[in-house]
Amino acid sequence: MSAATPFAILLVALAGAGAIALLEQAVAGLRPAPAAIGASIARRLREPLTLPSSYDAWLYHGAPLLLALAAVAALATVPWAPGFRGIDLASGTILFAAALAYVTPAVFMAGWGAGRPLAVVGGFRFVALMLGFAMPLAMVITAVAAPAESLRPTDIVAVQSSVPMALVQPYSLALWLPAVMAVALLPPFDTATAPDELGGGAFARYTGPEAAIVALARRILVLAVSGMTAALFLGGWHGPLLPDAVWMAVKTLAVAAGLLWVGRRLPRFETDRLLILAWKVAIPGAIAAIVLAALTTLLFYR
Amino acid sequence: MSQLGTALVFWPAAILMLVWGLYVFRTASMARAGLLLLGALGLEGLLFLALASEFLGVLMVLMMSGEMIIMVFFMVMFMPDPGGLMGMDMVHDKRRSAALAAGLGVALAVVAVITDWPGAVVSPDAPDVRAIGYEVMGRSMFSFLFAAITILFAMVGGILLAKEGGRLGLPEPTDGTSRRDERT
Repeated sequence: MSAATPFAILLVALAGAGAIALLEQAVAGLRPAPAAIGASIARRLREPLTLPSSYDAWLYHGAPLLLALAAVAALATVPWAPGFRGIDLASGTILFAAALAYVTPAVFMAGWGAGRPLAVVGGFRFVALMLGFAMPLAMVITAVAAPAESLRPTDIVAVQSSVPMALVQPYSLALWLPAVMAVALLPPFDTATAPDELGGGAFARYTGPEAAIVALARRILVLAVSGMTAALFLGGWHGPLLPDAVWMAVKTLAVAAGLLWVGRRLPRFETDRLLILAWKVAIPGAIAAIVLAALTTLLFYR
Repeated sequence: MSQLGTALVFWPAAILMLVWGLYVFRTASMARAGLLLLGALGLEGLLFLALASEFLGVLMVLMMSGEMIIMVFFMVMFMPDPGGLMGMDMVHDKRRSAALAAGLGVALAVVAVITDWPGAVVSPDAPDVRAIGYEVMGRSMFSFLFAAITILFAMVGGILLAKEGGRLGLPEPTDGTSRRDERT
């Protein structure tokens, strides 16, 4: 990690968030228009900062910053190319899960801090959701790490040089995708920020620069989970002809487009159904996935 | 990390950790208290990371988030004034608890100073992950499982107590109206 690494990560975050915003427009059936995104950012920044009538200032103003910090930290653990990665720790995938774990307090702080009933409900819903989905997320990481016998993301990419993990452990991918969509506040798991039902939920009251930070952080989150999905399941930078970083970018954007597309096609789930999915399907499934991954490792990777 | 880098992360994080830990008891809002505790414990994870105990640090940062959020919910459930808007005091029996805390702090500090700490518990080339794995799966397994089950019982019991009407439930209404009508 050199002195330039933090700036490189921030650059990837900003450029990637722009790409995610363009993808959102394309998935919504619009013609991708960078000018519209720029105009909406400029409008946000000029907007006067209005505050809720009774609110908890520390929690309310801290939430967007914590959300952005968690998103950037998660992004920093994604391995982009053999020579270019942010934080390369031996337990990097756990650090990824740890960074995502701080999205939960951020959403709770935003909801509670705003002091409005619907915002508080949004924050509570997200905590309930993530208590269920954080566990399968971490357990699936264990399952994916088994063949590489390492929690280092670059090692997990290296072990996929011939066969991507999505083909070896499709069940792990099936458990992983709902969990990362829930943590990235993507529909159909966006019960915390439901735009129509809760009127925006936990983040509804934010205006001006703070709203811009929330919007940016949410795009960076989508980028981070898409990048990690590409690295852990789709073979990361492995691919013929094209340079490593290009393969990684193509796979990341493909995953992001897929997640956004699914969100446009499915109606939002009810909270209790999501909790049933998490506690009765995803967690037992993740335990089974760990056992299956261990068997696969013993049979084919040794 | 270089020695300077370690010091630059360690000391600000340690001081901020202590300040936030103190403010846990200075605030009346349960949400703030719980989240400040989360911040302090997350910073403690950062201390582990700065001291190159990577796996412990990452694990601490990861686990504390979920645990402290659950604790915020328990505090909000049980406290009559979860938002701290009625000026509830977080501190009780001040003189005796201050004396006890000071005595305990001095005792712990004395123990920390006079203990003959080993220079290195594991050799520097042995990854701490492996050492912890053997420790957890070996002789500490029984105590870990015992603690885990106890905590689970405490959580289930706590939720039962926090339910409307406590563990006995609400008495059946006698005037023929259903409970749902009464509440709305």
